[in-house]
Amino acid sequence: MMKPISLLLFVAATSLAAEPAIDFNRDVRPILSDKCFACHGPDEKHRAAKLRLDVEKDAQRAIKVEFLDRISSKDETERMPPKKANKPLTAKEIATLQRWVAEGAKWSAHWAYVTPKKTIEPHVKSAWPINWIDRFLYVRMRQEKVEPSSDANAVTLIRRLYFDLTGLPPSPADIATFKDSVLSTQFSVLVDKLLASEHFGERMAMYWLDLVRYADTVGYHGDQDHHASPYRDYVIDAFNLNLRFDRFTREQLAGDLLPESGVDQKIATCYNRLLQTSHEGGVQAKEYLAIYAADRVRNVSAVWMGATVGCAQCHNHKFDPYTAKDFYALSAFFADVDEEKHLRGGGADAIPTKRAPEIPVLIRKDRLVYEDSQRRLDRAKKSLAEAIEGRKKGIDGTNEQKRKVDMAYLEEIELQTTTIKALETQIAYYKMRIRPIMVTQAVMPRTTRILPRGNWLDETGEVVQPAIPAFLGKIPGDKRSTRLDLANWLTDSKNGVGGLTARVFVNRLWYLFFGVGLSKSLEDFGGQGEPPVHPELLDNLAIEFIESGWDVKHMVKLIVSSRAYRQSSLATQELREKDPENRLYARQSSFRLPAESIRDNALAVSGLLVLEVGGSSAKPYQPAGFYRHLNFPKREYASDKDVKQWRRGVYVHWQRQYLHPMLRAFDAPTREECTAQRPRSNTPLAALVLLNDPTFIECARVFGQRILGWAAKSDEERVTLSFREATSRNPDDAERGVLLKLLNASRTRYKADAKAAQDMVAIGQSPVAKALDVVELAAWTSVCRAVLNLNEVVTRE
Amino acid sequence: MNAMNRRSFLSTTGLGSIALNALLQQDASAAGKAQALAGLPHHTPKAKRVIFLYMSGGPSHLETFDWKPKLAELDGKPMPESFTKGQPIAQLQGQVLKAQGALTKFKQYGKNGQWISDFLPYHAKMADDICIVKSMLTDQINHDPAHTVMNTGTAISGRPSMGSWVNYGLGSESQDLPGFVVMTSFAGRNPQPISQRMWNNGFLPGKFQGVEFNSVGDPVYYLGNPKGVSPQQQHDLVDAVKELDQHRNKTINSPDVETRIAAYEMAFRMQTSVPDLMDISKEPKEALELYGAKPGDGSFASNCLLARRLAERGVRFIQLYHRDWDHHGDLVKYMNICCGATDRATWALMTDLKRRGLLDDTLIVWGGEFGRTPMFQGKGGAGRDHHMKGFSMWLAGGGIKPGMSFGATDELGYHSVENKVHVRDLHATVLHQLGIDHNRFTVKYQGLDMKLTGVEPSRVVKEILA
Repeated sequence: MMKPISLLLFVAATSLAAEPAIDFNRDVRPILSDKCFACHGPDEKHRAAKLRLDVEKDAQRAIKVEFLDRISSKDETERMPPKKANKPLTAKEIATLQRWVAEGAKWSAHWAYVTPKKTIEPHVKSAWPINWIDRFLYVRMRQEKVEPSSDANAVTLIRRLYFDLTGLPPSPADIATFKDSVLSTQFSVLVDKLLASEHFGERMAMYWLDLVRYADTVGYHGDQDHHASPYRDYVIDAFNLNLRFDRFTREQLAGDLLPESGVDQKIATCYNRLLQTSHEGGVQAKEYLAIYAADRVRNVSAVWMGATVGCAQCHNHKFDPYTAKDFYALSAFFADVDEEKHLRGGGADAIPTKRAPEIPVLIRKDRLVYEDSQRRLDRAKKSLAEAIEGRKKGIDGTNEQKRKVDMAYLEEIELQTTTIKALETQIAYYKMRIRPIMVTQAVMPRTTRILPRGNWLDETGEVVQPAIPAFLGKIPGDKRSTRLDLANWLTDSKNGVGGLTARVFVNRLWYLFFGVGLSKSLEDFGGQGEPPVHPELLDNLAIEFIESGWDVKHMVKLIVSSRAYRQSSLATQELREKDPENRLYARQSSFRLPAESIRDNALAVSGLLVLEVGGSSAKPYQPAGFYRHLNFPKREYASDKDVKQWRRGVYVHWQRQYLHPMLRAFDAPTREECTAQRPRSNTPLAALVLLNDPTFIECARVFGQRILGWAAKSDEERVTLSFREATSRNPDDAERGVLLKLLNASRTRYKADAKAAQDMVAIGQSPVAKALDVVELAAWTSVCRAVLNLNEVVTRE
Repeated sequence: MNAMNRRSFLSTTGLGSIALNALLQQDASAAGKAQALAGLPHHTPKAKRVIFLYMSGGPSHLETFDWKPKLAELDGKPMPESFTKGQPIAQLQGQVLKAQGALTKFKQYGKNGQWISDFLPYHAKMADDICIVKSMLTDQINHDPAHTVMNTGTAISGRPSMGSWVNYGLGSESQDLPGFVVMTSFAGRNPQPISQRMWNNGFLPGKFQGVEFNSVGDPVYYLGNPKGVSPQQQHDLVDAVKELDQHRNKTINSPDVETRIAAYEMAFRMQTSVPDLMDISKEPKEALELYGAKPGDGSFASNCLLARRLAERGVRFIQLYHRDWDHHGDLVKYMNICCGATDRATWALMTDLKRRGLLDDTLIVWGGEFGRTPMFQGKGGAGRDHHMKGFSMWLAGGGIKPGMSFGATDELGYHSVENKVHVRDLHATVLHQLGIDHNRFTVKYQGLDMKLTGVEPSRVVKEILA
């Protein structure tokens, strides 16, 4: 039913001629995907009128026939999408589709599934750009008629770099060192220093652990503790060592299958065990095998491919070309992960529970010392035995000679005995640091079947072998593919989806350093995700990542070294209105710190922070009874009584069902599923945490102790210094005035009620400095509480 | 915070009238009181709020509302395989399956002769108020995933719970309380765990998460001032923070700062409003007696009284968990305890809401995550295993037809066979009563239009609407 449409096309094409040409992936595909693919897409079970609009040939045929008429029809029964789909096209979308057809209906493959293409960096006549990232951004800014913002001031930039690269604030000394030079000669020095810091790994781990849903408990039902913490330390270590991302991938998915598989590679395979597990009384093994398989497919596809393959558990994906068969074939890669032990009653209602297979390990740092001590012990023992033997034998010679030699032997014996004792103490210490960890051990692969509509009771489905999604190709060879093949495929930029993996990862790095990704949908690079606002830039970054040999630190340095990164986050009203979401990157973003950094920052400013890297999970103060709804077994939370109390947030015990309320209040995820992007909420519960959580009260008090410990100064000077410790800048008169008023009101109150002062400073287990006047300390604690509650103190600007 | 309070709060910090006006406008988006989404409600609501009496653990439909004479006849005999073949089984996996007749007696009550068991004498008095749905179905046979389905519509973790959805859609009517409040109680068999996941906000903004109110310790975590800090001092502190944030905002000009200040104000108000709410000792003696509540005892009865107080104060979604309905064994003993703890208080809540005129626009939902098997299980004395293919719940108030039963299970109480109501149909119906069309109530997440009722077809159970 051909209808004359040329007039319509003409109108559409001319009236909008001023706009840039339609780009299929940027402008059209998102509309087709969201509004059409559910019925005219990859899922054949729900396909209507045998029409596909996700495949070029079919779509082009439809366009020639009735496509435009149907989408703009006045007749409700004719109009697409139908009313019941509840997905009406907006006038703007219809216009876009009309223009697209008018311009020749150019089609291109989905941007994420084609190999990244290198674009020559544009030539820019401006002194603004520092590196090629800036040149891409600048051209676009000029197209949109906006100017980049000025550079942030040095202090803001230093703070930004510290928070972004280590998750910690700079000390006043750090500020002093770099304040005058960061914007000129020392920028690179500072970045290198931070990248070399052990805290870089902790900061990156905070993010990676969200992706892979690392937690200290099993998640389902009894939510017992399980053994995973060495994996966290492995991740921190991997980022610190700058383990290449392709290798990092292989070790986690298939470290047990690598020819050079050592302890670290085995620890890495805990990745395959991080999912939620259950041994609730009525668990049916087959059902949970299906649940675990689906969980792994969801995670591996989200973490590496930015794909929502989980949708294909019950039916072919509605928007992307993933079929249900692809889903089960992907899950088959993990069919050799030993699951039987805990599903067959191996789990236990105990804290911690057992999730065999587990092995005892020392993390790399400890292991190096331990092994070295062991070697030295062996040597010392050998030397001792030789000395004893030598002394027994003695020598032929004068008495004097004999005596001298005997003395020498004695000394040697004494020395070696002391050495042995010391080494044995050290070895004993490190033995105590041995922790069990769940690992992957390959067993005979289970048979994997397609479960019709995801129903685990239905065993009529086709048996599938491990395979990558069919539309993306095939792993060559006749042998059954392994997890290692999958890992290699994920990071192979020639014969695999390395290009996609690289895009997904660099986009997430970009998000960490700009607050919003080049594609906003960090977790979905499929048809329903947002196409990148700067596709050439994203592709070039992905290629750079691959060509650098998957060098994460290189990419971080490249991004933060751009002029764009340095910009001020203060935006003019005009820019804010024009680009509310900061997609042009003509300014930096300012955003609240992640939950862990809010904790770390308060501890660091107070001086309480314990900076030890790695180790078992830490338990900060927590409200009594917070775990009372947990059972099997019932449990009491015991907060750490030693210095572990003040460890960084990344080490805090991650209880999936009852995540520490401080972390939860600041949007840390429960880590039941992959989280690529945390929300940034601003709730009364978060306010209550900063106001009343004993950790923050203790921080304020210990901060107060430091202030009072400074050589005699006036209140004004002390207020200034305390404000500067927390914000890296001096307060102005108004700010000083507010804090002094608070100080004096508090002082008056505590002078009148010494008991209250006593109560206040007694919060937290850190000892109160005896020499200090309790009333003064309580009054200054109030000032410090105010400072630690400031928006500026919990914000990365 | 109403405009008056807000003004007095602001005047203490000496803010000018321009800033004040700006702030009052900001209220709409600020963290304090949440507004309804544009376009909502979709239609005139019948209910303004929900009280979900959540009988956690899975109460037996066969000893509450679903009287099965045929099952009594088969008592002790093998369960016919035609019912159980190919069906998922929880703890009875690999065991001989025997029929277990009702462990109590049933009688008919009310104008329409509703069947109600002897365990629930106070429910008998409510026969004409409640609509019993006897044909419920769920997808999950174990507690944790079944709870997750009942609360979030799917067994996959991380989705928003019904209370979060409702608040996200309709906003809050309370100035100084969260819109979604959860309370728990227990008395009975060693309780099953209950995860915070059940009242999480999932991918919705954090302010829509359920907030647990505790009967012991701080009623809300970190609600109390630190020891040695007086209310006036806390007020001074919040004021100082606000003044400093606002001062700084002259430079950074961030809209987040006003949201943050509103959150601090709400937090500060909650420090008074929540303890005030939780203190039922000032309730008249008659009210305490009606419920059988003792101030501070943390009982279901006290929670019911608190639910009424929350309803009066405009809280949108109130969920009371009673945690001990998992009766694998000694069912009679534990039914006596659980019903003893909840039956009368439920009736008292109904009575109280009714006489205050609140029942008309309050939807009450009663039930657990699943039912129990018609088959015997004997951990201790006779009990029953988890059962997902047929169970009972009831609804009342909020535009629901009172005094009726809807749907039916088969003659042995195994499968729902007549007018089946899946959990997602229940969700659709609850949303409908609140003025929300579940099909049009979606949020984009991971490329999908997520909705509480999920992707499988679901329907509003129109037959039970008044």
